[in-house]
Amino acid sequence: MSDVESLMRDVVITRIFERAKQDKDIIFMTADFGAKALDRFRTELPDQFLHMGISEQNMIDVAGGLALCGKKVFCYAMAPFISARCYEQIKCVIASMQLPVTLIAVGVGLGYDHATLTHFTPEDLAIMKALNGIEVLTPVDAESAAQNADMALDNPGFRYLRLERLPQPNLYQGGYAENSHQGCSHFINQWAEGNAVIVACGYLVHKAVAAAKALREIGIEVGVVDLYRIKPFPAQALSEILTGYKVVISVEEQALEGGLGSSVAECMVDTNTLKPLKRLGLSDGYEVVNGSRDYLHHLYGVDTPQIVNAVKAMV
Amino acid sequence: MLYSELIQRSQWLRQEIFEMVARQGTGLIPSCFSSVEILVALYYSRILNFKAGQPDWVDRDRFIMSKGHAGLAQYPILADLGYFPKDELGHFTEPESLLGLYADIRIPGIEGSSGSLGHGLGLSAGFALAAKCDNRAYRNFALLGDGECYEGSIWEAAMFAAHHQLDNLVAIIDCNELCIMGRTEELLNLGDLEFKWKSFGWHAVTVDGHSYSSLLEEGFSEIDNSDGKPVVIIAKTTKGKGISFMEDAPQWHFKSMNDDQENIARKELETNRIAS
Repeated sequence: MSDVESLMRDVVITRIFERAKQDKDIIFMTADFGAKALDRFRTELPDQFLHMGISEQNMIDVAGGLALCGKKVFCYAMAPFISARCYEQIKCVIASMQLPVTLIAVGVGLGYDHATLTHFTPEDLAIMKALNGIEVLTPVDAESAAQNADMALDNPGFRYLRLERLPQPNLYQGGYAENSHQGCSHFINQWAEGNAVIVACGYLVHKAVAAAKALREIGIEVGVVDLYRIKPFPAQALSEILTGYKVVISVEEQALEGGLGSSVAECMVDTNTLKPLKRLGLSDGYEVVNGSRDYLHHLYGVDTPQIVNAVKAMV
Repeated sequence: MLYSELIQRSQWLRQEIFEMVARQGTGLIPSCFSSVEILVALYYSRILNFKAGQPDWVDRDRFIMSKGHAGLAQYPILADLGYFPKDELGHFTEPESLLGLYADIRIPGIEGSSGSLGHGLGLSAGFALAAKCDNRAYRNFALLGDGECYEGSIWEAAMFAAHHQLDNLVAIIDCNELCIMGRTEELLNLGDLEFKWKSFGWHAVTVDGHSYSSLLEEGFSEIDNSDGKPVVIIAKTTKGKGISFMEDAPQWHFKSMNDDQENIARKELETNRIAS
């Protein structure tokens, strides 16, 4: 996956399409959300493609029925509408019966910046990780998204796959697969032997890397952790990483209540790896304004300069 | 099975439900009792095609109790048919027991967990679509409450099923005209359900949900007569049917009986006051 311009959704759907050609039990459902790769899917495999209308609730219930009849189902929509909008269906049907349904969410966090609050998911990590038996994955680039798709195809289960709306730089450069069982990646080779470590997932991993580069220029070395699997939480792997540092900074596009930073704090308590922790994210009462994602990051205190400042304040 | 035998079965089922609830002090008798004839017709006049000894038989018809609060009404039937030992009925809701207040998928013969309203029709539509995908002839039934038709997801599923011509899908609406807090007509009018379902592209009929001749000859007989449409049978029922003081009385949805009321109810069920 060397093409840095690939959209995660196209990469993921292409993987599913290739497998679906060989496996009639794979069904792809969309709540009126498209992708370039989906056009081929619906044309060439019409019997395995379902346009569900703009009806996320029914999409999940029908997916449950199909899964109970042996189908491997992929449900696809914009992130806010496949998480909070149909949360009760996911809980009562998919989670309650532990069905092999993969929920593919596009545009997590503040990805639909100009659409503002209705299209944001500042709560999706908190609510989705609370579901019984779910696996929550946040790829950071097309390569990791493709690997996540393969995992869902190889081992059908109850999953929530959080994709970025826009293409992302290739962070892993071919290195994701060997690490993909860990639950998190420690970019120790690039950013080592410092006192601080920045923990992020998805889009903000790129910001964390940018912050690490900026910090290196002023003589501060920091580690970066891509916490791509929020559930099952890689507590052991993360605590081993944290052991090597003095302070921890988490950064996310989620409400601080129940987000990634909360999971990091819980991990520290549960594994007795207590470190000073600064959580950057959306503080309660955050203002909803018009602006680009980068502008919103500035406003909410999670942009690269503010990550840099948070590290400097702690080391 | 003769109508007279089915009527005996409904008396038996009401007594079984009543004793389970009386014994454990939990369970919604009125909601179960409005569904009794529908359930007996489905299982004992073999509207449903099943093999009790083989709950996973791939070509079985699938039934979902979408009004999950009446889920326990299925337990005596499933035990009687041999899906699980009858002893289990005596352990209803006990710690680690098989049978809970709401039916769930761990129970042999139960096709999907239910409890929250508005899921069963979409779930059944998924079954029906899977049957079409796999070229299998099994049918799929969902029993809904009329109050459940307040849920928007029901109408999402209704639209979906009609579009995909799921003529292997049958919804039965236990239309007792009550929800927890009173009469649906007064609280929030559901309107003309038959008209609404027809306008969604379904083959809709309205029957007397406590009459076997009406259920079987005017309702389930329409299953093969739907011209490619999914079928909805709107069964007019009386909540609490069979116990005089519970009939059509909203306050009994949750209310517990005192000893006197329990004895009166038991006697009424023994004499089968509703048999005609």
